[in-house]
Order: sequence, then structure tokens, then C-alpha cells
Amino acid sequence: MSNEKQQVSRRQFLNYTLTGVGGFMAAGLLISPIRMAVDPVLKESSAGDLANVGLSVDDITSEPQRIDWSVDQVDGWYESEVNRSAWVYRNEDDEIVAFSPVCKHLGCVVSWEGSENHPNEYFCPCHDGRYYKDGTNVPGTPPLAPLDEYEQEVRDGMLFLGDARPREEA
Amino acid sequence: MKWRKNDIQQYVQSKEYIDTILLPLIPIQLSSDDDAEKHASQSEVMNILANEIEKELTGRIMLAPNYHYLKSADKQLESKRLNGWAEDMKKQPFSHIVYITFDSSWKKHEKDISDNLLWMPAVQVGEINSKEMHGIIREQVGQTVELIRSYWQSN
Ligand code: FES
Repeated sequence: MSNEKQQVSRRQFLNYTLTGVGGFMAAGLLISPIRMAVDPVLKESSAGDLANVGLSVDDITSEPQRIDWSVDQVDGWYESEVNRSAWVYRNEDDEIVAFSPVCKHLGCVVSWEGSENHPNEYFCPCHDGRYYKDGTNVPGTPPLAPLDEYEQEVRDGMLFLGDARPREEA
Repeated sequence: MKWRKNDIQQYVQSKEYIDTILLPLIPIQLSSDDDAEKHASQSEVMNILANEIEKELTGRIMLAPNYHYLKSADKQLESKRLNGWAEDMKKQPFSHIVYITFDSSWKKHEKDISDNLLWMPAVQVGEINSKEMHGIIREQVGQTVELIRSYWQSN
């Protein structure tokens, strides 16, 4: 009953096993991208999920305030904690709005009332880019698009933010 | 902008907006255990600091690769090498080169360096990821950003 096994020479044995391993590895290569796309457990990062940013909605006023939080992110080779920031306020319709502070010109960080000369606007220190309170870029300044807006949700009175998305042109 | 392919591509297209180089000066020395640890830890902090500053002002600043040198090296010679770097960089339209360092010995050689030297006192680092450390670094980032903006305004 062990006849067949004994007929396998050493070389053949090695051959089989190596092919086996190679085949297995190739299968791994083929499978992983698909699994990454389908299997939620293996999904790239939690960055797409909404994160509790530690701000109670009761504390959100019509005055934009800066909040900072961090999320885990896989970026190529590195897995790291990335810091995120937002400017959050309540607009005239009493809706909560959270803007990304990243300037749409070349990416510097904008601040609410960041320049004394331009009250009631967001200001970019790099090339004097400006945005109105509703995030729309001020014409004639370098940025050509409104500030990105974060996906958001309110759970149990706390603000949760996701990814920043470009807004429709105003 | 950083010293990586994509950023340089973007730099080449938007040169007129990116007029400032930020160049960290970081001493190294492995010969003595205690000093080595101190230098390594300060180098870690400097990297975080420089990256954070770059993040705030990425559209106008190019963060150059770190300039490393032996802590015991002759600063006059190092200044010469450094000026060589600066000379090459200025072949692009950079109007500000800002050196940033924790190493106070550069202060004595400020006159040998042709550009802005920004020395800041090294913080005694406990745990680099501690809340306290974050606060200190945020503070230093804020101050440095203000200082760099003041260089821009005086232009
Ligand atoms: S990066 Fe904001 S105006 Fe240029």
C-alpha cells in the first residue's frame, strides 16, 4: 500500500513540493487583491469609517472651531496614525458643517479669521487664499474650488466625521 | 512639499508659489552611549517637528533632506558644505532658505551661514508619543510657522 510513495524519487519529491509552494504563493498573489476588495476585515484601513472626534453637538456654534483627531491609516508600506483636523460650525439653517482645513490651491492649512485684514473668512497663510464662511473660495485669490467637506453623522449627541469630499461647485 | 518624486513633479509645475526651503540640521555621534541616545532622540523630535511644519505650509515650503553631521565636526567646514547646498538650491527660484536645528553650536557660526538659522532649544523628551510631548511639539510648530510667515512678510 505504500508502493506508490516509494516510487517517488528524492528529486521528484523536491520538485513536487517546490511547485506546490510556488503555486500556493501565486494563488496568494492572485487572491489577495480580490480579498482586499471584498473582505471587510482586510479592508485597507479604518480611514473610510466615521470616527468620533470628541465633540458634543451641543458645543457646536455658529463660530467655526478647529478640532483635531486621529485615525489609523495604511499608506503603501506604512501603517500609521494620521492626524486630521476640521473647522466645524452651524450654518444659518442650523446644519452642522465640517470643512477640511486643506487649502484647495496647494494644500497649506487654512484658519478661520487667520488674517486680521480679512475677518469672517478662512485665510491661507501661504499665498493669501481666502474662503467665505460657507467654504466658498473668494474669487481673485489663488484657490479655485471651495473647501472640502467631511462626511458626518451624529450619534448619541457626538459628532462623527469620515473622509473629506470635494463639494459641488457653488 | 517633500523630497519625493510626486512632490518634486508638482514643484516643477508650480515653482512660482514655492519659494522657501526648510532644511533640518541634525547632529549625529555614535561613539558615546549617552550622547548617542540623546542625539537619536533629538533627531526623532526634529523629524516630527519638520514634518508638521511642512504639513502646515506645504504649498509654499520644500522640506529638504536632513543635513547630518558629526557633532564634533568643525562647524566652519560644515558651514562651507552647507552653503554649497544652498547655492545649488538657489539655482531654483527659492528666495528663503531656513535652517532649523536644536544644536546651539550653530549659533556661533551664524555669520558663516548665508541664510536664516532657526535655533530652538531642544526639549527634554520623555515619551515621544505622550500627550505632553504632543503639546510641546504643537507649540513649537505654531511658533515656527509664525516665524516663517514673518520672513515672508518682510519680503
Ligand atoms: S496654498 Fe493656499 S493659497 Fe496657495
